[in-house]
Amino acid sequence: MKRREMLIGAAVTSAAGIATIAAVTQSTQALAQAVAPPASGGTLDRIIKEKKLRVTAEVTSPPFGILDRNNQPDGSEIETARQLAKDLGVELELVQVTGPQRIPALLAGRADIAISSLSITFDRAKTVMFAPPHGALSIVIAGPKKTQIRGAADMAGKKIGLTRATLEEASVPPIAPPGAQMVFFDDIAATMQAMVSGQVDAAGMSAFAAKSVGDRNPKAEVENKFTVRTAYYAAAVRPGDFDVLQFLRTWVFLNKHNGVLANIYKKYTEVALVDLPVM
Amino acid sequence: MKYVFQFGIVWDHLPQLLAGAWLTIRLSLGAFALGFVIAMLLAFLRTAGPRPFRAGIGAYVEFIRNTPFLVQLFIIYFSLPAIGIRFEATTAALLGMSLNFSGYATEIVRSGIEAVPRSQIEAGYSLGFTRLQIFRHIIVFPALRTVYPALASQFVLLMLGSSIVAAISAEELTAITNTLQSTTFRAFEFYFVATGLYLLMAVGARLLLHAIYWAVFERARPGEWGWSR
Repeated sequence: MKRREMLIGAAVTSAAGIATIAAVTQSTQALAQAVAPPASGGTLDRIIKEKKLRVTAEVTSPPFGILDRNNQPDGSEIETARQLAKDLGVELELVQVTGPQRIPALLAGRADIAISSLSITFDRAKTVMFAPPHGALSIVIAGPKKTQIRGAADMAGKKIGLTRATLEEASVPPIAPPGAQMVFFDDIAATMQAMVSGQVDAAGMSAFAAKSVGDRNPKAEVENKFTVRTAYYAAAVRPGDFDVLQFLRTWVFLNKHNGVLANIYKKYTEVALVDLPVM
Repeated sequence: MKYVFQFGIVWDHLPQLLAGAWLTIRLSLGAFALGFVIAMLLAFLRTAGPRPFRAGIGAYVEFIRNTPFLVQLFIIYFSLPAIGIRFEATTAALLGMSLNFSGYATEIVRSGIEAVPRSQIEAGYSLGFTRLQIFRHIIVFPALRTVYPALASQFVLLMLGSSIVAAISAEELTAITNTLQSTTFRAFEFYFVATGLYLLMAVGARLLLHAIYWAVFERARPGEWGWSR
């Protein structure tokens, strides 16, 4: 048979594949430089000139971002993005992302600003620049009533569901005792589903998300077991986009004082916004 | 916008990536073995079994081939617990992949069976063979030889498709890559390396499958089944 042809074909395929990867690596770099804005105008100028602001929209993370009954994005962070576009006087383009894509989408240039309940952490600050916080959230361990957890130590021997690329993924494993098993999902909807269907004993999520899943599944008797930490979330921009960052600083300052941010927060979370620290 | 590639961090996490790739390989081989046994059984029943069996198997094959793999996985992992059937993520992944593969493989094997010349099967009957004996001694070998390339391609598709089981928290290569890129934010680097690993596994699988073809169909039985060429 054509054994030799097949062998040659396989060898050529792998060589070509590896060459392609190398080429893509280089061309991505070249492309990244090619699309860089000219020195005269920064990202902010481009947004104003094109009259279009592209913002990440994560729609599987209540109450920050969800799809409403007409399948349109809604939620506190979506509303925040709308307010920002309105204050800039430009049109808003929502770039739908999953949780783990929030930062990659920003870095890849698909969005100009990430406004998707990104909590401010050291790790994230190494790759993106954070604006001052415009909201706060608590990470809790939530689970059905029958799961016996009262503190971090009780997680031993239990399966704890976590969503990748979230604050809970960063804050729960460090406090977990040996013997606690962390189970990772790609979006909060899957984590919630795993908790409701009993595939995990409990799950780490924002207190809002826990309330939302409890309200929608009364039979599951979801309750908050304990609070892991409270965090502040903010908009993020690409490293080097200081013009956009400075605008966001001013924007947060003004909307904190005129109460707009507090109104958005109250409307979607049904909780009053705490005093946001200055950054 | 300028992006500086940093591959050093990927090499630091290489053992984790390789562990993920190893689970991908184990899941793929396990699902191939299990799915192939199911497919042989179903293909036999579909071509030689009683009429109601044939219809039932036809419905099964159409269901598997016309619904998304992800939805099948969600049914196994998230929905079955509601009626008291609970699988671990890895078990659910293996089961989902096996059933999915069996659906496609049944059709492939069936086409091979139907390609066996009718006269040979009639010769079997005239020698007094039972249906099972005819299947075992006359049909299986040439049928598998005919469809071997299609089955081999389906295996590679199975292995690449296994990346979907990350969605139900099975810690295979894609899941590990997702976790690493989400904690290090080096998405480009990790996805490039994962792509390379998948490519190596796929090419390796093709070479291995080709060697198996040679060992089983060409070396072991020279000249035999010559008519099928």
